[in-house]
Amino acid sequence: MSAIDDLATELAKLPGIGRKTALRLTYHLLKQPPEQSKRLATVLAELSDRVHRCSVCFNLTEADPCGICRDGRRDRTVICVVEEASDIGAIERAGEFRGVYHVLGGRLSPLDGVGPDDLTIRQLTERIQSDEIREVIVATNPSLEGEATALFVQRQVAPLGAAVTRIARGIPIGGDLEYADGVTIAQALSARRAM
Amino acid sequence: MPLVVTDAIVLHAFDYSETSRILRLATREAGVLSVLARGARRSKKRFGSALDLFAEGTIEVLVRDQRDLQTLCAFDVTHSRPTLASDLGRFAGASALAELILRFATDERQVSLFDALSRSLDELALAPPDETREVTLAGAWRLVGELGFAPSLDSCSACHADLAIADTLPFSHAAGGVLCANCARLHPSGRTLPAAERARLGAWMADERTGKMSDPDSRAHQRLLREFLREHLAQDRALRAFEMWEHAPWSRA
Repeated sequence: MSAIDDLATELAKLPGIGRKTALRLTYHLLKQPPEQSKRLATVLAELSDRVHRCSVCFNLTEADPCGICRDGRRDRTVICVVEEASDIGAIERAGEFRGVYHVLGGRLSPLDGVGPDDLTIRQLTERIQSDEIREVIVATNPSLEGEATALFVQRQVAPLGAAVTRIARGIPIGGDLEYADGVTIAQALSARRAM
Repeated sequence: MPLVVTDAIVLHAFDYSETSRILRLATREAGVLSVLARGARRSKKRFGSALDLFAEGTIEVLVRDQRDLQTLCAFDVTHSRPTLASDLGRFAGASALAELILRFATDERQVSLFDALSRSLDELALAPPDETREVTLAGAWRLVGELGFAPSLDSCSACHADLAIADTLPFSHAAGGVLCANCARLHPSGRTLPAAERARLGAWMADERTGKMSDPDSRAHQRLLREFLREHLAQDRALRAFEMWEHAPWSRA
């Protein structure tokens, strides 16, 4: 196999990149000055050396514990449980949450062979038992698998004494009722609150 | 490129690229289809909540011959099944049923199989939490029957002699059902099926509801189904969702 094939094969393993795009990227890199390719190779090699899971919350971080877990201004009595580390970025961008996080590393999916042992649920319960946790906010995605995962987390956490809450679902801000689908409207109605 | 319009149920969904999703669908007119829902992750305008697991509706798909992945143009959801996530037994059972279809159904028109799946998922979505195992078993045997592997329960699966309803009989996976005393000697079998359980299995195949079972009885039925699937359908590939439904204590948490 040639070096071109080698790189195209590796690039094609990335999500959303097919063989054609992988070859296009490979030829693009070959047209660049050699220093640029070397810089890319160095950055890629350093990525797995420098980025690890936070030993507390399983966020991706270069320092352990991660910046959020180390931040003394955050409310450590409230944990927001998310499926993936990338979900933390989305919640942080909203700027509303000042607690800490716990990354499950996925969601229950029997068809993909993912059960509770493949997620960090045991570590979450250990964290709740060892720290003073007041509330656990379950922020898994509002899909069927996300809901089943939330239910499982609730079953594990509730007996430990912390309040378990679920993020709200329904009509999005700026949305239009006329164009919302029936499932979303039904969910919004069932999760209505007093004014 | 023909546009196919048919009823469909989402059995498996996973992300593809930054914006799209790939769905595996059970359809009424085109069997099991893999489709690409372009832009489904970026905007909910086109597909709404339709792309969630076990949602059912009418799809429009552009079908090209010789292609494994077709293009989903529209999915008009007629009903979703959110209650399948409100109990872990229901969720595990529905996943096991979906796996049976994904693994063993073909891309040909299978109207009765589609209807049996839809009915089984509906029953599971409404099943009391302590009866999800029984309802899943009923649905799974119904699907096995629609796939063309219904076990013989009223006559000997080897010599076709009629058998008495009240008898406890040997059950041979290899022969495809119960055996008479003579044939049982020629087909060594690891299981016997008491008359009541044979009647229950018959009721499931005939779409009749049965009541709650004892834990040992329902577990014995899970073993029977697993062995039957392995003999006739599963070959050597593991059924991951089925195994989780059968063995994982979390699904009964």
